[in-house]
Amino acid sequence: MACVKLEHVKKIYDGGVVAVQDFNLEIKDKEFVVFVGPSGCGKSTTLRMIAGLEDISEGTLTIGERVVNDVEPKDRDIAMVFQNYALYPHITVYENMAFPLRIRKMKNDEIHRRVCQAAEILGITEYLGRKPKNLSGGQRQRVAIGRAIVREPQVFLMDEPLSNLDAKLRNQMRAEIILLRKRLDTTFIYVTHDQTEAMTLGDRIVIMKDGFIQQVGTPEEVFDTPHNLFVAGFIGAPQMNIFEAKLDKRTDGYHVLLQDMDLKLDEDKCKLLENNGVKSMDKVLLGVRPEHMTACSESETNCVKGTIMVNEMMGSELHLHVATGMPKNTILRLPTVDLTSAERAALVAGNKLSFTFASKVVQLFDPESEQSLLYK
Amino acid sequence: MKKENQIPEVDIVVDHEAGVIREVKPEKLRSKKGHERRVNTSIYVLLTVMSIIWLAPFVFLVLQSFRCESGGQVNYLLPKQWGLDNYVFLFTESNFPRWFMNTLTIGLVVAVVQTVIQLSVSYTLSRMRFRGRKLFMKAVLVLGMFPGFLTMICLYFLLKQLGMTQAGAIPGLILIYVASSGMGYHISKGFFDTIPKSLDESARIDGATRFQVFLKIIMPLAKPIVIYTILMAFMAPWGDYVFASYVAFGKASSYNVAVGLYQWVNTNDFQGYFTRFCAGGVIVAIPITALLLALQKYYVEGVTGGTVKG
Repeated sequence: MACVKLEHVKKIYDGGVVAVQDFNLEIKDKEFVVFVGPSGCGKSTTLRMIAGLEDISEGTLTIGERVVNDVEPKDRDIAMVFQNYALYPHITVYENMAFPLRIRKMKNDEIHRRVCQAAEILGITEYLGRKPKNLSGGQRQRVAIGRAIVREPQVFLMDEPLSNLDAKLRNQMRAEIILLRKRLDTTFIYVTHDQTEAMTLGDRIVIMKDGFIQQVGTPEEVFDTPHNLFVAGFIGAPQMNIFEAKLDKRTDGYHVLLQDMDLKLDEDKCKLLENNGVKSMDKVLLGVRPEHMTACSESETNCVKGTIMVNEMMGSELHLHVATGMPKNTILRLPTVDLTSAERAALVAGNKLSFTFASKVVQLFDPESEQSLLYK
Repeated sequence: MKKENQIPEVDIVVDHEAGVIREVKPEKLRSKKGHERRVNTSIYVLLTVMSIIWLAPFVFLVLQSFRCESGGQVNYLLPKQWGLDNYVFLFTESNFPRWFMNTLTIGLVVAVVQTVIQLSVSYTLSRMRFRGRKLFMKAVLVLGMFPGFLTMICLYFLLKQLGMTQAGAIPGLILIYVASSGMGYHISKGFFDTIPKSLDESARIDGATRFQVFLKIIMPLAKPIVIYTILMAFMAPWGDYVFASYVAFGKASSYNVAVGLYQWVNTNDFQGYFTRFCAGGVIVAIPITALLLALQKYYVEGVTGGTVKG
């Protein structure tokens, strides 16, 4: 069990492409950290550097107390689960799981004990005699995880382990990984491009883009207080709505002006803006999550008016795409349980809809730097 | 012709407008099948002719080897007197066993050494990234375009200085055949490239060294290509005449089968030795044919199924 520390870690490929820029992170012992970001953001490269599969161009990597920059992968005491499982096709499931132990010249009865135990945890005991090609995707992924856990490594690395599974299986395996994590109680580093996985699995999430860390925080932090526009858009589905609005500093505090809507910001936000030295701005990017929008009657004045373009019935909620005259349609996410059947009948494409939102859910970003204006 | 290939007499067509099912004579279908059959027939005829041309010399060789009456080229195909005299001569009164052993020794040593070198080079070029890798591959490609004979004179003098000609021809020949092993990496590198890299990476994280990865993961998966490489490495020296003839020049005990047998028909009494030459040719063909037949199933054996997603 160990902590992992990355200090000023950089990855420059031979062609001069910089994949990871000045990566600083301390992963605590027994922490579950998720690297998330769009493809090409450097998350997998970072993981592979931790694994030792890629050289570290600059900076230091520490696992436990040891600097491991130049340590071979086999001596780092880590285990890794690959996206494509990487099972050895010519040997049985049992031998696949025993492979890391045999390489370490462990005694046969100890190997047997560990493999059987891992197989039991993962529910693959009955497949131990099979070859990988005779397993389904989910079973193969279990074997791959099994091969990792028999080692009892200091650090678990997982590189998009669920990406090759179908949606249903992915949800199931996600829950199993949470249970597994509780059971193993060791350090996990998990790479994914799926923000749902990141939010549900991680103690902390590292959001990356173009080789830079955008934000590090707990799921709540990155969701509630995104540091910049990218994080705001990346976390949460459907995406956060972004409006171009006006920020007005008045004697009674800050006001956000959007179309006919004049929203006075609450005290906490005003204080943050004041501390950050924000003045009145003609253009500010206003972010509101779809689930924080509420529909209101047309008679209300302090709201944004628009026309429903698309109506998506998701079962428990309704996703409405509303054209408001602004460049992008606004998405509203309304729980169906709160709607009467008459209201629901009115929420169809072509109808008018007004909506509003409360001050406390608002995010504000600088249009130039795209950084949050509410950042402490 | 098999039953399923027979052309049906009628075809059933649904006429949607009239709402009825009609039986239609499938004229078009029939002519298409007929065309296919004509094409197939001509292909088979062509193949048959080609295989006759290809097999004729071998059949001739085998028949001559069983001919007991003497004489070089004769104007009939079937021997007048059948017997094993020629074979008996090969193994009792001639140098042939010596030559055979020479060739076998060279072939086996080359097969082992060349396979090891060639597979190692291929794996390295497939998996490792190092400075000069691309340059090396290009250089080998260009070098490979020059025929090996160009080096003949140069090699002869080099080997002579090392005492590896005439009496020392066997180690000398092994050296020649093995020297360019690394240059034949293309096919096996192509094969290694198809084995997912994540298998190597996974094994390395699991605790294996590069060599263990090669030995325990890649080799079992590459069985077809290993066998292919061994076969090729064995066959080249087995049938070589050019290098073997001048390195061993004049020293009968250092000949390989090709050189030895050729000496019979070239310098000695052609009339007397021709049928023995044919018998030698048959004996030489046996091991290589057996080897190919025994190992050919590995060519087609796919082993990478289930490695990664799918």
